Amino acid sequence: MFIKRQLAIVVMISMGFLALAGQFINSDNLREFTDKDAPQWYMIIAAFAAFLGCINLLQLHSTKVIRRKKDWQYSIFTLVGFLLMIFFGFLYNGSTVGLGPHLKNEFSAFYWMYNYVYLPLSSTMFALLAFFVASASYRAFRIRNFEATLLLISGVLLMLGRVPIGALIPWWTVIIIYLSILFALFASKIKNKQVFFYSYFGANIFILILGFLLGWHVNLPSFLSIPLIQEWIMAVPATAGSRAIMIGIALGVVAQSFRIITGRERSILGD
Amino acid sequence: MRNFLIKLGTIDRKFIFVLIALAVLIPLLYPNLIELPIKVDKNTKIVFNSISELKSGDKVLLSFAYGASTKPEVHPMAIALLKHLFAKDIKVYIVSLWPESPIMANQAIKEIIDTKLFNLEEGVDYALFDYKTGGFIVIKGIAENFREVYKQDHNGNLIEDLTIMEDIYSVSDFDFVFDFSAGVPGNAEWVQYACDPKKIPLSSGCTSIMVTDAIPYIESGQLKGILAGMPGAAEYEKMVYDLLQEQLNKNSNLNKDAVLTKGKALARMSAQSVSHLLMVIFIVLGNVSYYFSRKNN
Repeated sequence: MFIKRQLAIVVMISMGFLALAGQFINSDNLREFTDKDAPQWYMIIAAFAAFLGCINLLQLHSTKVIRRKKDWQYSIFTLVGFLLMIFFGFLYNGSTVGLGPHLKNEFSAFYWMYNYVYLPLSSTMFALLAFFVASASYRAFRIRNFEATLLLISGVLLMLGRVPIGALIPWWTVIIIYLSILFALFASKIKNKQVFFYSYFGANIFILILGFLLGWHVNLPSFLSIPLIQEWIMAVPATAGSRAIMIGIALGVVAQSFRIITGRERSILGD
Repeated sequence: MRNFLIKLGTIDRKFIFVLIALAVLIPLLYPNLIELPIKVDKNTKIVFNSISELKSGDKVLLSFAYGASTKPEVHPMAIALLKHLFAKDIKVYIVSLWPESPIMANQAIKEIIDTKLFNLEEGVDYALFDYKTGGFIVIKGIAENFREVYKQDHNGNLIEDLTIMEDIYSVSDFDFVFDFSAGVPGNAEWVQYACDPKKIPLSSGCTSIMVTDAIPYIESGQLKGILAGMPGAAEYEKMVYDLLQEQLNKNSNLNKDAVLTKGKALARMSAQSVSHLLMVIFIVLGNVSYYFSRKNN
């Protein structure tokens, strides 16, 4: 109990203060520890964590199969795949190079398994996202309220702006999109459908003629180019949002680190 | 008509899956069917110009941090960048931060050698270093002392015996760092632990989903542009292809007899374009259906 709890807390607090002190106290020994020793310890511990992960995976899935828990059949596949790769990684080579370098030798059995089984399966899993995103966007991207509409518009502009087809969308289409959005926002204010219909078409025709007169078909203004609108969305609103999130995370890290080095945060001990 | 539009909203998702599959498959199987002009993004141009400004003999550190799942998106960037670097006779150093990355790095180098465009010698023109566990700690280690982290290259040759490793002691000895990543550690870690503190120019090629997180670093100049996902890869491939085609008979680093080929990302852009367009059409139809069903209720 002492080793698992009190000692762990003491180690945690002292290491936290040592690492922090290395940034503020001008001592060569302390610097040596924070810059060289501590990172090397981390790398060694991280390497051993991989073994722990393997043992944990074996334990978890073996228990699932033995106790016939829900979806235990999938665990058989996990275990077979895991053991097969261990076999080809540690026991069977299949190439002329020694064990170790054989992992990157294209004639070894491990490499074959990686290149022709794992790689296509892994890419397939990632590619399946396209199907789910398509289905989800069809159902979820709805004009329910102002925020959802904003998300939808920026999502569509980004989707089109990032691919070559976005550059092919003509300027007059972009104008029609702008006006449609504008009229959609004020639709509830105009009660008479006829007035709404005529003003919508009138505005479209007026802006299109104005565009031709101003030469927008020759010199495209940036607000009518979907790729440039996409660039602006990424550079301005997306950057602002990302920065806010980053600052929030940084503050969270400071608070969490303070809790750890003062021994208040005990979730890492399994509490 | 109205009923049909309302029914569209409850369409079986298998139908959407089939359409998406066709939208991706047909352009992939027939790449010449739809040829779309590639418009180069501002960030891709910055990457290209930053690499173009490097001089012959400069040293560039490449960090590979992606694996099998993201290979179709990130690998074409790596190939295009390697072509660009070798065409300028730049020394390339590749480190791997993901367990699968050494295989990716090997495959990238093999693809470059197979093009027969360059006369490359391992240990002189490029060096590969195997995977090291620790993520950002490895980056921190490279920033402080490269030789503390790596004692030998991927073939087991001691660093001291490699010609290319002369004068390389820390990240400060590189002229440029380029990160290929699909998660953590990635460009953010390179900015925070190595390139920003040591003032070494850094650029990155990553998956589309990572771009939003990286944008603040680009806007602040801590990242010199970015290759954003498959479109970024296609744009960079096109720029490098045009450059190599122009230089094939002039550049002494290029073999004149070699056949120049376009990259894989360029061929995949039609598929991505069509599928994006299809998704937009789905969204529009979904909203039309939603509008009528709400009106009915």
